[in-house]
Amino acid sequence: MTSNATRWALLGATTATALGVGATVARRRRRHQPDRRDGWYVVRRGITVDRPMDALVGFWTDRERLDRALAGWATLEQLDDNRWRCVARDRAGRTGWRAEITVTGPRRLSWRVEAGPVPQQGRVDLVPAPRDRGTEIRVELRYRFGGPVRRALGLVRGAEPDQGLRDALRRIKSLIECGQVIDTRRDPSGRDQRQEAATDRLRERLTTGGRA
Amino acid sequence: MRALCWEGVGKLAVRDVPEPRIRAEGDIIVKVRASSVCGSDLHLINGYLPAMREGDILGHEFTGEVVETGPGVQRLRVGDRVVVGSVVACGGCWYCRTEQFSLCDNSNAQPVLTEKLWGHAPAGILGYSHAAGGYSGSHAEYIRVPFGDVGAFPVPDGVPDDAVVFASDALPTGWMAADFCGLKGGEVVAVWGAGGVGQMAARSAQILGAERVIVIDRLPQRLATAAARLGVETINYADTDVLEALREMTAGRGPDACIEAVGMEAHDVGPGYAYDRVKQSARLTLDRPTSVRQAIMACRKGGTVSIVGVYAGLVDKFPLGAAMNKALVLRMGQMHAQRYIPMLLDRLAAGEIDPGYLATHPLALEDGVRGYELFEKKRDGCLRSVLHPVR
Ligand SMILES: NC(=O)c1ccc[n+]([C@@H]2O[C@H](COP(=O)([O-])OP(=O)(O)OC[C@H]3O[C@@H](n4cnc5c(N)ncnc54)[C@H](O)[C@@H]3O)[C@@H](O)[C@H]2O)c1
Ligand SMILES: [Zn+2]
Ligand SMILES: [Zn+2]
Repeated sequence: MTSNATRWALLGATTATALGVGATVARRRRRHQPDRRDGWYVVRRGITVDRPMDALVGFWTDRERLDRALAGWATLEQLDDNRWRCVARDRAGRTGWRAEITVTGPRRLSWRVEAGPVPQQGRVDLVPAPRDRGTEIRVELRYRFGGPVRRALGLVRGAEPDQGLRDALRRIKSLIECGQVIDTRRDPSGRDQRQEAATDRLRERLTTGGRA
Repeated sequence: MRALCWEGVGKLAVRDVPEPRIRAEGDIIVKVRASSVCGSDLHLINGYLPAMREGDILGHEFTGEVVETGPGVQRLRVGDRVVVGSVVACGGCWYCRTEQFSLCDNSNAQPVLTEKLWGHAPAGILGYSHAAGGYSGSHAEYIRVPFGDVGAFPVPDGVPDDAVVFASDALPTGWMAADFCGLKGGEVVAVWGAGGVGQMAARSAQILGAERVIVIDRLPQRLATAAARLGVETINYADTDVLEALREMTAGRGPDACIEAVGMEAHDVGPGYAYDRVKQSARLTLDRPTSVRQAIMACRKGGTVSIVGVYAGLVDKFPLGAAMNKALVLRMGQMHAQRYIPMLLDRLAAGEIDPGYLATHPLALEDGVRGYELFEKKRDGCLRSVLHPVR
């Protein structure tokens, strides 16, 4: 796995997978509805990673790191020069999600979910950040809910892929910059089991998602 | 192990808790030898900073011995005596690279609350509530320190625990406050608050070139200690008009720089701590910035106001007009521990700074509740209680 397209695909797969799988496990609430276009919800999010573009792309050649980013959720299969298939399981271990990733340029790739709970497609662009600020990862994500009932449901749960996206970007940035996603979940405390469970629910709300 | 836990607003208790374990490659486990109380803890204990949970272990200013290292740790060895900065920093983001460690992008495990409150999440802080990452604190026998290579520093031989412990927080905070003032030599600097932080700010301002330092508080004993230990002038705001006194002492100019080391000591209301109450609490006047107001009014035209006292939310009647029309420079922030600690340890070893006198009440960890009582009520001349899990 050495070609740039390969590394690239890995980055996309991580984003897309964290997203796709994240969305199936997320319980979120929301305040604003995302933009609608041609029947799709459209969200755009970006994050700045303090590394040059090459380092960012190259990061994903390290299989161990990739596995850690994917948390054992996904496998990646090369279809041809520019196309990849990513199959992901949710945390319960069921295969829940399959996407095709296409490298469309040196700094751009796109993915399309072929099977999964929410029809979804997206695009990742890498853009050099101004001055010495590293690289911006910019993602545009489109998703929709099929049928009137699902759509009604979607109005309530419309934020999930968006929150998943922000969470995924934050995780990727942290992995690249410092090799881990910090977690304080099992730090010692004087709590009993019940209190700890309640605190973990708070932690979950304070960890995932992002700005209102 | 034993640890001092928060049990609800105003309530603390020493309890049995599980020992921490290495969770990530860069983690270290430190066996705590001394752990100080800090003015910031009072804001947490009394519910003024949101997001404390029952059972949280307090404490963020400490020194101890490395007893375990994660596989990724390179700079430290088991057995090293270290002092650990309160602020958690990853060492790999832009903010860390530019030495703005308290703004680290990756060290707050739970960034959503502060993103909503402040627009962005600053760094995590050990033992400092779920708004600052939900880390367990140092008032315990052992503590897990993430990014050990970045945040823990070997202690020079001969510097006692009860002095070096302040290189963790009070001293770097005081130093940063003085650093913010941009002193070139010969200035008059006024410091609000004669607690550990204010006294270290006063000492730092002297080292950085201030010709006169004036410390303001209402506790005669603290003012007397500052005068005796540091040779500063003092004003007791309980019986003196501070603005008048400062004008008088500077022949009408006002101090060149004003350091605020008090914080939201006097508040009106305590907000809820939960995530879903953020909006509500953000509408309240959280902090009463009496001393910030005074510092702005007192500062000479074109001078610097340096704020290291902690504020959490919105303030009322902020004299923006005075700050604008007098062309003041305002600097503020949580301290960048990792930027200053190595330099400060050298100064401790050389005897240039001796913060040991702040530890007026060395106590066993088991006496932690009393330690906080003494500190909060400023009883018995308490400047800082320092807890010792191992005696
Ligand atoms: N920025 C940082 O990184 C950082 C780090 C550590 C502590 N802090 C903050 O620094 C502040 C001081 O900490 P400390 O440990 O010295 O606390 P402390 O409680 O020991 O000291 C505060 C002092 O301020 C005095 N005071 C109260 N109101 C005053 C007023 N109107 N004018 C003048 N003095 C007044 C009190 O009498 C007390 O002596 C706290 O807000 C704490 O949260 C900030
Ligand atoms: Zn502190
Ligand atoms: Zn960082």
